[in-house]
Amino acid sequence: MKEIPISKRNIIVAIILAVVIALGIIAIQALPLYNGSQPSVSNQEDNLASKAAVSALQAFFHVNYRNEKETWLNDVCAESTPTGCQLITAGADAMWSKFQEGKADVTATVTSQEKVAETATEQVWKMLVALSAPLPGSNKIQDTAYVVVVKTDNGWKFDRFLLEPEIKAILARQAMTVTPVKEGK
Amino acid sequence: MKKFILVLTLLALLIPSAVHAQEQNPWGEVFDSNGNLRSDLTDLGVTTEHPDWMSVDLPFGQSLNLNADYHRYQTANGNIVVLPSASTLFFMAMNPQESGLANSVGMMGNGYGGLITFLGAVAGNNIDWGRLSAEHPEYKSPDQFWGAVLNGQQDVWTYFSGWGFITTLLQMSWNDTALRTAYLMYLNGAQNCASIPGGCSGVVTPTLPQPKICPDPTVSIQQPTISIQKTAPSNPLVVGQDTENRRGADVIAKVSIPPVIFTWHEPIYEDREVCEPSTVVGGVPVCRTESFFKECREHVEHLPDAVASLQATAALDAASQAWITSKLGQTHYGAYVHQANFTLIPGLGSWSGGCDGGGTCTATGQALKVPFADPGTFNLRLNVVTTGTRFMGISITQPRQLSADGTLQVYVTLPALVP
Repeated sequence: MKEIPISKRNIIVAIILAVVIALGIIAIQALPLYNGSQPSVSNQEDNLASKAAVSALQAFFHVNYRNEKETWLNDVCAESTPTGCQLITAGADAMWSKFQEGKADVTATVTSQEKVAETATEQVWKMLVALSAPLPGSNKIQDTAYVVVVKTDNGWKFDRFLLEPEIKAILARQAMTVTPVKEGK
Repeated sequence: MKKFILVLTLLALLIPSAVHAQEQNPWGEVFDSNGNLRSDLTDLGVTTEHPDWMSVDLPFGQSLNLNADYHRYQTANGNIVVLPSASTLFFMAMNPQESGLANSVGMMGNGYGGLITFLGAVAGNNIDWGRLSAEHPEYKSPDQFWGAVLNGQQDVWTYFSGWGFITTLLQMSWNDTALRTAYLMYLNGAQNCASIPGGCSGVVTPTLPQPKICPDPTVSIQQPTISIQKTAPSNPLVVGQDTENRRGADVIAKVSIPPVIFTWHEPIYEDREVCEPSTVVGGVPVCRTESFFKECREHVEHLPDAVASLQATAALDAASQAWITSKLGQTHYGAYVHQANFTLIPGLGSWSGGCDGGGTCTATGQALKVPFADPGTFNLRLNVVTTGTRFMGISITQPRQLSADGTLQVYVTLPALVP
């Protein structure tokens, strides 16, 4: 029988490695798993960006027809980039007229669902918006919004809603990424 | 800094290159040889629309309608040149069919080359070129990709890797309305204005000729009577032999011009009430007044063609002058022609004229006791110019030149030796 010498140092290293691996497995299992109602916020920047999107959408869908349009715009613009504010302002007349005609009195509960795209200074978030009552022209009280938030000197700010073709392009890209590949055939 | 470079690029695109007017090149109707806008363009001003392809769909069925605005010009031949704002142009490029961009004959100078440059400037940094080249190796350059986008063969949205540039572009357009980089030409745009960007607002629609429902007007011109003649004495004597009275001769000129007959036809319409049954059962019929053609009413106008000027002259004919200097000179040494030519009217005499209520115009001129000093035959010449005729400010006939000739004999008494 052949004797294999193992040094005391090697045994200690092996024990330490085993402990580290075990702790790693425990740590991974202990992390919160993604589910549809929880934001996939992976770091501080994402957290700030998603909070900016939530604040902006809550302001945008907080509509009280008794107020002046400017009051609503001021609230939205406080959460927006200057260009985002200008974009909303450009179309505000027609929107506010519709809100007033329909006597809209609505508040919103907004949840960030998923960061769907990003660059160094921009993030696109999929958001879930729940309204206290339907807006004029719609009978929905829950809908999805895709918004762009931009990192500015004053923190993350809402920039705009994604255009329809942009949403389609992002969803198509996601579908290509997550489509499972069947193995063994 | 990026924004500054973008603005500079866009402004560089603004500078029109020299386009030389050619029959086949419609841009010759837009720019002169120095590349400046031609002065005969009609500036239609800025038109604003809210097209679907510039609408941002929001959750809960809401929408944010952005302005598409165009500064437009109309050429003398009815073509329309459209200058979209920068943001409008961007959205047009992203929706070439819906926006009507595909129906234009291209941008000034280099077709769609300028538009490709524009897209590269405003969105080039926001394209994921790595992924694009991996998925579409057939595009050898960004220009080929943008060309495919403009032709509707490539969906650009799939390859955008940034989002903020759109609001930046919109803000640039809002802040600088003069930032218009593309001249889009729509041939016969005035005729087809409903299908061009900006629609028919302000477009000067070419007027279609009215269908002829009455006969054309006619003009009838009658011949005038015109004369010039000697009236007294019966046998005028050269004033050199009539030293006591120096009677000379009287010449009178007359012209009578019948009216120009102008016949035209007036379409007569009558108003009738047209009623259509109500779309509601038991409702009151909807009536409106419409004009219907009834007849052509003939009008005959007697238009006076008055005398504008009258001139009469007398000239000793060549034979008489020759007789004086040759034959008469043989018997009367030193005989010569004293005055061969006379301006009778105006000068020695005057004329006056007018028109009567029937449109006939007359003029009479006379020169009395014209001191003819040379014997022989004087050729009388009368020249008259008329005013022409007008009706309701429109010229019907042009001024006419009338003339008449006459002769006048002046006598001399010669002594004769009788054997």
